[in-house]
Amino acid sequence: MGNPMVESAARHLSHTRGDAAPGSSDPELADHASESIIVFDLAGKIRYWNPASERLYGWTAIGAVGRNIEDLYSNEAFHSKDWRSLLQEGRWQGVIRRRTSWGGHITVAVRQIVRCNPEGQPRDVVEYGASDGTGAGTLQDPAPHRLAAASWELDTSGARSLLEAISLTPRQAMSERLEQPDWTDQLLAHTRIVDVNERAAHLVGAYAGRARMIGQAVRTFWPPESRGVLAELIADVATDRLGDMPRTRRPASDGILRDPIVTVWRGKALERSHTVFVAVNGEADDDRSFWYLRASEQRYRNLIHHLPTALLQVDASRIGLVLAELKDSGVRDLNAYIDTHPELVDFANNVVRITEVNQKAVTLLGGAAPADLIRPISFLFAASPDMARRVMVARFEGKRNFAEILKVRTLGGETLDVQLSATFPAPPEMLDRTLIALEDVTETLRTERRLRQLEADFAHAARISTLGELATSIAHEVNQPLSAIVTNGETSLRWLTRDIPNLAKVEQLTARIVASARRASEIIHRLRAMAVRDAPERTTLHLNEVVEEALLFVRHDLEARSIELSLKPDAGLSPIVADRVQLQQVIVNLLVNSIQAISNGDRAVRKLDIVTRDDGAGSVSFAIHDSGPGIADEDLDRIFDSFFSTKSAGMGIGLTICKSIVTSHGGSIVASNHPDGGAQFEFALPAALPEAA
Amino acid sequence: MFDPLTIAIVDDDDAMREALSELLQVFGFTCRAFDRAESFLSAHGSGSFDCLITDIRMPGIGGLELLRRLRSAGSTMPVIVVTSYTDPAVRERAMDCGARAYLTKPLADEILLHSLESALGEGGGRFDGDGQPNG
Repeated sequence: MGNPMVESAARHLSHTRGDAAPGSSDPELADHASESIIVFDLAGKIRYWNPASERLYGWTAIGAVGRNIEDLYSNEAFHSKDWRSLLQEGRWQGVIRRRTSWGGHITVAVRQIVRCNPEGQPRDVVEYGASDGTGAGTLQDPAPHRLAAASWELDTSGARSLLEAISLTPRQAMSERLEQPDWTDQLLAHTRIVDVNERAAHLVGAYAGRARMIGQAVRTFWPPESRGVLAELIADVATDRLGDMPRTRRPASDGILRDPIVTVWRGKALERSHTVFVAVNGEADDDRSFWYLRASEQRYRNLIHHLPTALLQVDASRIGLVLAELKDSGVRDLNAYIDTHPELVDFANNVVRITEVNQKAVTLLGGAAPADLIRPISFLFAASPDMARRVMVARFEGKRNFAEILKVRTLGGETLDVQLSATFPAPPEMLDRTLIALEDVTETLRTERRLRQLEADFAHAARISTLGELATSIAHEVNQPLSAIVTNGETSLRWLTRDIPNLAKVEQLTARIVASARRASEIIHRLRAMAVRDAPERTTLHLNEVVEEALLFVRHDLEARSIELSLKPDAGLSPIVADRVQLQQVIVNLLVNSIQAISNGDRAVRKLDIVTRDDGAGSVSFAIHDSGPGIADEDLDRIFDSFFSTKSAGMGIGLTICKSIVTSHGGSIVASNHPDGGAQFEFALPAALPEAA
Repeated sequence: MFDPLTIAIVDDDDAMREALSELLQVFGFTCRAFDRAESFLSAHGSGSFDCLITDIRMPGIGGLELLRRLRSAGSTMPVIVVTSYTDPAVRERAMDCGARAYLTKPLADEILLHSLESALGEGGGRFDGDGQPNG
């Protein structure tokens, strides 16, 4: 590139000083200048190219330094007149047109100043340039760092054989080859980084930094998403016999640069024939580097992946469109619509696809790998066919969330109870990626069932315990008819063994025997109902009848302890729906408690008041008030607590069971001290709804 | 012929009261049954009844209280307690109050008969039954 004429002319130049120009002393000033500053030697070879020049021309420093300044002129003839006047005058000022990296041209107002060495010989030329505003594509962002190109100088010599193979391939076949990731990877793995600028190092250098990037395969640092683009461009320019025309592509955004433009060109000089320059332009969305973002995304993914909650990402965009169309066409009730178009559910089951799953989901659903679950969602709802419909209806109705327990058959054939929670996208969100969380509640439900069983056993134990407390009374109750039977039987025998048997008497007594036997049998039946654990069975009952029955259990206790009973049943009581045995248990428990309270007290009055009442507003109540010592104030709050007992011998579960039974019937129970003294217990139950006529 | 002895029965249980009445009739006694001690007491005049058979556990005045009242009123009428209460303490209290016999339900008719014979024999010698005095 040497120009003997220019070089000889330059010798006549005097040493020029004045304008601030990058020298060995402080190049940073020029790095930060907003004006384009270029230094080239007398042969035209570019020695320095500041970031503002990168922005002005698009060419990166790495690509520009070492090139000849003449390469950049749009009309390749750099007028020798200008050179001459420059070298003669020591400075030149004018407007020139230069090529930009994106293939356009720019008109630039430049000032060129010749610098001399201490001997007074011309050494190089410093050019200051600024766009005159007429050029297209001029980048004039005030925040230079965000706009500076990331530039790369790459050495493709390691991939020579690969490139030669490609250059022999017909162009049509080339695109096919490029679709093979192996090929791309190989090319980029054998292409070494010769140099990168700070921006490239910042964006993708990760922790390595510029120094450690040099010498590495470009593949190591280039974002995976656009590796294909880079490989294709490298292959293009490296195999282009015609020259160094830059090639430009716009890859998809990799998350750091908005609308990135990748420009690749080949070194022109012979010694740089394997050199490929890459410039990546584009505005950064934020100042974090690609790997930083990648790392935070990876951390996020890792977090999701290792979350103890099973997560599925679902693409429901197709069904979203269908539902939107249905809404537009006037469908308001999706349930009704599905009744006439049941195929919509099947359709949804097949077009809604699981696109991503985490490790917990894989484990939960019995897959070997995530790929096992990347499929239409239908399998998730196979064991609960109505669930797909409910999810769809919830979404159609604009609900934001959906949560329900469903049965899921895993890939291993196991059936699980799973709590499914989904959050639907809000209507304008066309990017329809729904996250579904699954929680295995099989064990929880099993535990709940066990707990319910335990509660039932507990209630049963309490009942048995109550029966135990009532044993004397019960024995008496059964003994009465048995005694009558024995006596009547013996009397009958005496009449029969007379010389003239009194058969009329025998008949009469036998009838009484039968009646007493029936009575005994009924008592035993009642006891058995209390003692045997039957599944609760709710029927329509009259509370007054249940109270009468319960009183039968304690009648003799009341009498034996000389307790006066005042029973005031409300004759107009509404029926209730309840389990007879459970309700009996509640009332017997309350009765036994009251009887014991009265017996333990030393009051002269030994009285039990029982009242039933219908409040006329859908509630039926039972109140029992005893003349005992009442409940200590500090016990009032916890009297229904498990194992709370003021009785030394009591199991302390009677009132707990009472409360649990009353509550399970939709009622409530309260304990209080009566203003007249003694304790009062009152429970209320909802009246049965009148049956529709 | 003889004037039949009249036995009073106090028991709140209908079936038991009726069964006892029938048994006493077959033994040849006349009897009157009461479901409450109170009604017995109001019917009880001096010498109205030759013997009382009473339950212990009853609403209102119980058997023991009835015994106590009779004794404190100076009655020497023999009283037989018939109950399903097997508690020895109750039995002791009944005997202390002057019960002639303490029988538990269900009754053996023979034992009731012996008890009655014994009680009536000691009480006034009006007994004319076919049993033997309680030894």
